[in-house]
Amino acid sequence: MKKSFGLLLIALLLVLAACGNSTKQSSDTTTTKNEKNNEKSEVNLYTSRHYDVDDGLYKKFEDETGIKVNVIKGEADELIERIKREGSATKADLFLTADVGRLYRAKEQGLLQAVSSDILSKQVPEKFRDSDNMWVGLTKRARILVYNKDKVEPEELSTYEALTEDVWKGRVLIRSSENVYNQSLLASFINIDGEEKAKEWAQGIVNNMARSPEGGDRDQAKAVAAGIGDIAIMNTYYLGQMLNSQDPEEVKVAEQLGVFFPNQETTGTHVNISGAGVVKNSKNADNALKLLEFLTDEEAQYTFAEANYEYPVNPDVEQAELLKSWGDFKEQDIPLTTLGENSAKAIMIFNEVGWK
Amino acid sequence: MTKDGFGMMRRISNVNGWTIGSVLIIILLFVPNLSIVTGIFTPPSENWAHIQEFMLLGYIKSSLTLVFFTAIFTIVIGLSLAWLIAQYDFPLRNFMKWALILPLSIPPFIGAYTYHGILNYTGIIQKTLRNQFDITPNPAFFDIMNVPGAIFIYTLFLFPYVYMITRIFLSNQAASLIESARTLGKSSVDIFFKVVLPISRVSIIGGVSLVILEVLNDYGVVKYFGIQTFSTAIFQTWFGLGDLDSSIKLAASLMGIVIFLLVIEWVLRGGKKYSFASTKVRPLPLVKLTGKKAVIATSYTLFIFTVAFLIPVLQLLDWFVLTFGKVPMEEVLTYTKNSIIVAGTAATLIILFSLVIGNFSRITKHKFGNVLPKLTILGYSIPGAVIAVAVVTTFIAIDRFLAPLYLSMGLDSALILSVSLVMLVSAYIIRFFAIGYNSIESGYAKIGTDFRDASRMLGVSGFRTFFKVDIPMMKGAIISGFILTFVDILKEIPLTLILRPFNYDTLATKAFQYASDEKIMEASQASLLIVGVSAIAIFVFHKLLREEPE
Repeated sequence: MKKSFGLLLIALLLVLAACGNSTKQSSDTTTTKNEKNNEKSEVNLYTSRHYDVDDGLYKKFEDETGIKVNVIKGEADELIERIKREGSATKADLFLTADVGRLYRAKEQGLLQAVSSDILSKQVPEKFRDSDNMWVGLTKRARILVYNKDKVEPEELSTYEALTEDVWKGRVLIRSSENVYNQSLLASFINIDGEEKAKEWAQGIVNNMARSPEGGDRDQAKAVAAGIGDIAIMNTYYLGQMLNSQDPEEVKVAEQLGVFFPNQETTGTHVNISGAGVVKNSKNADNALKLLEFLTDEEAQYTFAEANYEYPVNPDVEQAELLKSWGDFKEQDIPLTTLGENSAKAIMIFNEVGWK
Repeated sequence: MTKDGFGMMRRISNVNGWTIGSVLIIILLFVPNLSIVTGIFTPPSENWAHIQEFMLLGYIKSSLTLVFFTAIFTIVIGLSLAWLIAQYDFPLRNFMKWALILPLSIPPFIGAYTYHGILNYTGIIQKTLRNQFDITPNPAFFDIMNVPGAIFIYTLFLFPYVYMITRIFLSNQAASLIESARTLGKSSVDIFFKVVLPISRVSIIGGVSLVILEVLNDYGVVKYFGIQTFSTAIFQTWFGLGDLDSSIKLAASLMGIVIFLLVIEWVLRGGKKYSFASTKVRPLPLVKLTGKKAVIATSYTLFIFTVAFLIPVLQLLDWFVLTFGKVPMEEVLTYTKNSIIVAGTAATLIILFSLVIGNFSRITKHKFGNVLPKLTILGYSIPGAVIAVAVVTTFIAIDRFLAPLYLSMGLDSALILSVSLVMLVSAYIIRFFAIGYNSIESGYAKIGTDFRDASRMLGVSGFRTFFKVDIPMMKGAIISGFILTFVDILKEIPLTLILRPFNYDTLATKAFQYASDEKIMEASQASLLIVGVSAIAIFVFHKLLREEPE
């Protein structure tokens, strides 16, 4: 009896494993065939970007190069952990994420490898590439001020720092510190002004908040329109999405809002990037590089920016109409890596000043 | 098996068979969690002091507030509905009987986004007041992104756990007791407080403990609402501070708390098993309500159904129409198929394993036989993303171990299982085992061991008895266990997201993809399909249940 039950269980496990293998094999048959014709026929992508436009670009890449793009989408830190644990056996070739802090983290943990090519250097300015060539930026997003046109004159606005002044008491809206865009914003201040000043800023914002942080970036914009506060700190593309929303009411709200790029006279507006790095133990590093080159070429960059109201990193690419209408702006001039280096510190400051 | 004819001997050898099977399954379910348990003993990192000082206390407080009030409200709503449906007949009762399970098909984070969508500044209510009636109400009045709001969301979309489990208990097992009370001329109020409440304690605890665990490890709702709970602390430590070890340590503490609660519950029950091994397990005859009482009963059930299901679904439909054509639809069928297959497989395996372990727990005389299965609930107590780490680790280890085998089979990859659906299905089993087991366990409790013993006494083998006697009597429990796990897996997010194979999408990952980017309108298509598939499943099984021999 003992034996028979044990055998039954082992059999069950084997069946399960076999099922797994068969699914795997069947999905791989096409690629194995291709491999015979051309050894470099696929690239495996771990990405934390969830946009439909990305899928379209991967398809286009497949059509143009014949290289199949396989995708697993997940949260950045979970993907990092998975790559780490898969170690040398990993199937991941390219790690793509929407925050430079995560790229930094992947690099620090030794998960990425240096890649470079003339094409990449030409298409992506040095500022948006890792100093060790471990990752490359793909798109930029700016964290800006959005204000209620009826209540605030743009002349009253100047810098992120000015929002901590007493005139703004009870008028500032910003989401929770759990959000990575806020973390990288504060991380940039730690780099520019030092920890002490950055903490003062965070404390000042907490003091001036119109309400305890809740909701996403869009909710901050709506709260400005609703009169809960007068000014919100949010990412550009969320406003772009609202202006082009299917819901006419959202468009109406977005139209009541003005856009202001802060710190133009001083340190520049905060910018974060989406970016990607080739995985250290990649089996298809060449293909991964090809995909990077493809994603930063003019056409892909235009699609990226157009569909999602992000800024292209490739300087030769024309911006989407909406972005053009907001005008050019001065960006923070700090190494992007510092956003990653300072992000843990930023979170501790948020906790210490009680920024929910 | 030997040829000896002694029932005693056979019985013992049989117990061993079930024992070994159960222990093996429990170990398989538990091993991945071990890496989390050991987290308790890892030395604290330099972040620990910060976590303790700034994150833990306040976060635990809000977690407890959420758990406490959600538990109270789900009990009040779930039990009252169960009582009404089990005891009375009133207009719409037959529809409500299964429709009240439907809110379970709406993932709480989608529910949260949807209700916020209805109530926020550009939502239907404020919009209409503003544009049609020129009334601009104070927007703070409609703000649900706070602790009471979260309790509201959890209650709406989780109460069916209590309702479903308690109703099945009341309609079937408790019938004779309630009937006796009726014949003794007790009033409904008396029966409710003196009979129903005490005897349904076990099933209420069963249902509400699922609710509590769900609330404890939810991250979607609280993240969106900006509420800091224990799971915020876990993820802030991992994602924010980049300190996975400390975050596992936190998850392990959470697991410790859950074990503690389980022990308490077990002690409170005095380690007793309730068995209603009456031969006449039959439904309670319904009391027909008329006049005012009927109106009240119908209105109450209709109200709950409307708020917890109809309103959010209508809003989703509205968004679906608004965004129609803007969301790619070519592969919708594939996602739907993926969802159904993977949830169906995992739910089936969970029920099979539960049947084995439940049977073991039922026939074993050892005390540990009752406690051991409780360990399997641990998977339900840990945030999915943390389990995911444990599961990935386990499967990569298995792949390494099997590498020579792969090589001999001519597979040129070192990772086979961990890039296949096996990993995802296993993770589902680890995580949702508690849900299926809960149901099966109460099923076994209902039939007791008398029938089984009779069958064995007549010389029928253990396995045959199991299939011919036990399984048919367990039909209700099996079906309800299957629905609950199926629906839960269908809407599951963190595990599916991180553990899926390449190029594999389900309805839940699609819904999440949009919702996480604040595109709730675009998320409506996948959300509606989750609701639709769940609703069909619930309806089909409801039909099956009705045909259960009485």
